[in-house]
Amino acid sequence: MSFELRDHTADVAVAASAPSLSGLFAAVADGLAAAGCEEIPDAGGERFPVEVRAEGVEALLFDYLDQLVYERDVRAVLPVDNEAEVREEGAEWTLSGSARGVPLADVDAREVKAVTYSEMCVAETADGWEAYVVFDV
Amino acid sequence: MTDDDVKQFGDIRLERVREHVWEMPREGEMRVPARVLASEQLLEQIRQDKTLEQLRNATHLPGMTKHAICMPDGHQGYGFPVGGVGATDAEEGCISPGSVGYDINCGVRMMKTNLTYAELEGKEEELVDALFANVPSGLGGGGIVQGDVDAVEGVLDRGVDWALEHGHAVEDDLAHCEDEGRRPDADPDAVSQKAKDRGKNQLGSLGSGNHFLEVQRVTDVFREDVASEFGLEEDQIVVLIHCGSRGLGHQVCSDYLRKIEKEHGDLLDSLPDKELAAAPAGSELAEEYYGAMCAAINFAWVNRQLIMHRTRRVFERVFGRDWEAMEMDLLYDVAHNIAKKEVHEVDGEDRELYVHRKGATRAFPAGRPELPSAYRDVGQPVIIPGSMGAGSYVLRGGERSLDLTFGSTAHGAGRTMSRTQAKQEYWGETVQDELRDQQKIYVKAQSGATVAEEAPGVYKDVDEVVRVSDELGIGDKVARTFPVCNIKG
Repeated sequence: MSFELRDHTADVAVAASAPSLSGLFAAVADGLAAAGCEEIPDAGGERFPVEVRAEGVEALLFDYLDQLVYERDVRAVLPVDNEAEVREEGAEWTLSGSARGVPLADVDAREVKAVTYSEMCVAETADGWEAYVVFDV
Repeated sequence: MTDDDVKQFGDIRLERVREHVWEMPREGEMRVPARVLASEQLLEQIRQDKTLEQLRNATHLPGMTKHAICMPDGHQGYGFPVGGVGATDAEEGCISPGSVGYDINCGVRMMKTNLTYAELEGKEEELVDALFANVPSGLGGGGIVQGDVDAVEGVLDRGVDWALEHGHAVEDDLAHCEDEGRRPDADPDAVSQKAKDRGKNQLGSLGSGNHFLEVQRVTDVFREDVASEFGLEEDQIVVLIHCGSRGLGHQVCSDYLRKIEKEHGDLLDSLPDKELAAAPAGSELAEEYYGAMCAAINFAWVNRQLIMHRTRRVFERVFGRDWEAMEMDLLYDVAHNIAKKEVHEVDGEDRELYVHRKGATRAFPAGRPELPSAYRDVGQPVIIPGSMGAGSYVLRGGERSLDLTFGSTAHGAGRTMSRTQAKQEYWGETVQDELRDQQKIYVKAQSGATVAEEAPGVYKDVDEVVRVSDELGIGDKVARTFPVCNIKG
């Protein structure tokens, strides 16, 4: 799985790809961390769980990233090394995951305000999955 | 109409209506035409990204009235363009959280002083260090007030009245703030616990990105009579504070985007961009969002108030005088991410509208009843921050703003370069050194990357933005200021 930061006049976009939907979600989440911090420490911080459910795949991605931004603010940590398992359960999509929370005091991080739906794309490709997400900074 | 009066940018056609006014004719699913207020120079920049496409998308919102409008500083945002104004019918239209943006009541306030630049010279480093040490900024830096449940509820409900009750304001501050610092329609119960959780540790903080606190000197006065009413004169030191409702406001927007998606999916499906999410006027959700947004507006006003009052204390220590003796009084506080119910004349009739201003500033001329008594006869102050190397402007709401822009003008210089490109082209420390050595501007930031992202070269020419505003008569040039010290997150 991989991600890259893409140009946007005012904000920051993340383009990600992965063989699986679970990997894709984790890659976008790592992109979110990279959008806020250029040098993420390899170690430090404790892992915390992230649980999200929503009515569709894009909604699940929105809620997942929104939850990470929330966790960052209330725990005062940067969520990195994200792990996610995405499942379709009846009419719902669920995500069970975790992140390593690096204390904000230990990194030179800038604020990503929110995830947006603008131009959001989650699509299956011949090689797996890809996504594009714009973040408000 | 000559060839020079028509511009074709891909599938978007613009026709010149008159100097600085370009119209995108109504076609397809557009409910109204769109207008771009720009000189040829600014239009050339505006057309480079997706601003015009986003403006066209905004015309699809139900109840959109007259035109969707792009201000001279417009640029691509998410959903609605930054620098966008859209007025929707408050009975038959909609209210669109996506067209307000995440940072509800992001805005600027200017505080005056009776200090001159000569009195500050030699103290720049001491002042910038003291401000940086005492005004929380960046990510996880906490706030001036460690908020508990009661504090957050009080702020959401009572706005700057809460700050006054707790010793962070004086009566005169309320008299010089839009709506006297309190939205009467605020409904704290419509704000989620998640939003309150995020906000309680950030009450009185700048945040990061393009937010800043800047000490400036007045370099030019263009309208002596208005400047005199505003209490501005050349060489005077003023303080500009730019920030918003922090995580609380961001969460309010996110929460309501999702609620709209769940409850009004049919309306959402009719819009070309999901980020334009809107609740039908009169629906329960529209009322709920309006109450939550107004509460977030209160939060942002208190946020800027706390920072301003702390700045007074910092000046007291650095200059060895009481802040009252330095006449550190609020000039005005303006919001530039907001939606408000306002009455405007449309086709000869007064209609109540939700006026969405996303990256646009209210610019009411003299006579509007909403203005505080101090400015009712002269027009409201409009504060236009520029980049940290180019200075800022104080305008006065223009006579033509009600007719052309629902009483609005630009909100800043507007970006021309992405943040990633900015970091490739600029190095934060170099920018800081050059500003200090060449322009005597002292910058202190949490991160060199932030300085690079906000380098003067990444913004449009604020002089040109203000020239267009002035010539259109939507915001009249009153004074220009230039940075002395700047802190950012």
